[in-house]
Amino acid sequence: MAFIKASKPRAYFKRFQVKYKRRREGKTDYRARIRLINQDKNKYNTPKYRFVVRFTNKDIVAQIISSTISGDLVLASAYSHELPRYGLHVGLTNYAASYCTGLLLARRTLKKLEMDEEYEGNLEATGEDFSVEPGESRRPFRALLDVGLVRTTTGNRVFGALKGALDGGIDVPHSEKRFAGFSKDSKSLDAETHRKYIYGGHVAAYMGTLIEDEPEKYQTHFSEYIKKGIEAEGIEELYKKVHAAIRADPLEKKTAKPEPKQHKRFNLKKLTYEERKNKLIERLNAFNSAAQGDEDSDDE
Amino acid sequence: MPAGHGLRSRTRDLFARGFRKKGYIPLSTYLKTYRTGQYVDVKVNGAVHKGMPHKFYHGRTGRVWNVTKRAIGVEINKQVGNRIIRKRIQVRVEHVQPSRCEEELKARKVRNDEMKAAANARGEVISTKRQPEGPKPGFMVEGASLETVTPIPYDVVNDLKGGY
Repeated sequence: MAFIKASKPRAYFKRFQVKYKRRREGKTDYRARIRLINQDKNKYNTPKYRFVVRFTNKDIVAQIISSTISGDLVLASAYSHELPRYGLHVGLTNYAASYCTGLLLARRTLKKLEMDEEYEGNLEATGEDFSVEPGESRRPFRALLDVGLVRTTTGNRVFGALKGALDGGIDVPHSEKRFAGFSKDSKSLDAETHRKYIYGGHVAAYMGTLIEDEPEKYQTHFSEYIKKGIEAEGIEELYKKVHAAIRADPLEKKTAKPEPKQHKRFNLKKLTYEERKNKLIERLNAFNSAAQGDEDSDDE
Repeated sequence: MPAGHGLRSRTRDLFARGFRKKGYIPLSTYLKTYRTGQYVDVKVNGAVHKGMPHKFYHGRTGRVWNVTKRAIGVEINKQVGNRIIRKRIQVRVEHVQPSRCEEELKARKVRNDEMKAAANARGEVISTKRQPEGPKPGFMVEGASLETVTPIPYDVVNDLKGGY
């Protein structure tokens, strides 16, 4: 039999139901989204905030978002590419950087809502499980962690961001099961290990082993660290300084961007309803007058 | 086997999802807020099995009397025998839509208030009542020509030719 290229019949496409756009793009998990957004009806218009953490290859995005029918509104956001402002120039996507980003976001939202004096959070990052205590005048700011499509394994960086936000003073319901340093056997969190990760101890340890065993690999892998003069011993100090700087000035700085230049239009601009109607009237008038004006009809 | 009369009997098409609309329901249903006294339409969403009203209430409109965590209490009129009972049902928000039945009324109220205020300023009294559509206005028929039609006299011979 001759080889016929397999092709889908027209009926297949006519009956095909596309998934939601963001599902097709593979960006949104609607099952989780429904459960995160759904607000109790007897709370009417009270916004329900999600603490969204997303990782790209070179950046960390942390945002506080509430949802409306016209779209989601971002209350505050923090990116790890802002961390150079606080003194951290390298390793912007590791566990320690995600902690810093979460901390920055928490301090920023609290400052915006004028709650930062009341909710200091955990000033000294010890790695222990810390939950916000309710203050005197206002209840703590509550947000729900939105992980996205990430696989929630123990020690994942999203939980680093979560820890940063918790220590910053935001109330996020959580369990310590997924923090780095939780041991499945003893079913408890080893605060020492978690503290090591928060201060980049795992990076420092790797640097140390590479310097001893494979100096060439150390040169290539940590080239940016070497350029900035960061060494394994100084990493913890560096992160301590970054945390302090974040707590001192969390508000974002707007950079003056140049006006975006106007691009040449390559396609015709769409006419408005009025313009289209007028065009039609003109065309009809021209047609009528061209037909020797036999019909003395009005402009319709 | 005899026909069953279960809760969801005869709802094969009624509760079915639309063509190419199966699966997840749009999130705006969850984001709408409902207040007591508001009018809502009950429209069952077959994808959500919890909090479904009985098939009788599909397509009915009623007022909200209760708002709970995930559901709404709706008061709907049902004719039982020789009287109409105000029935109260609890429905999940996925099976409810805000009703537009009052929309036209509210818009008209606003317009009427404006017209009355304007007329008041001018010092005249106007009636804002809606009038039913009257008979169409009269018009002259154009391009008519007269053709007089008279009956032809009955011709016995010709008409009976076909046989009798």
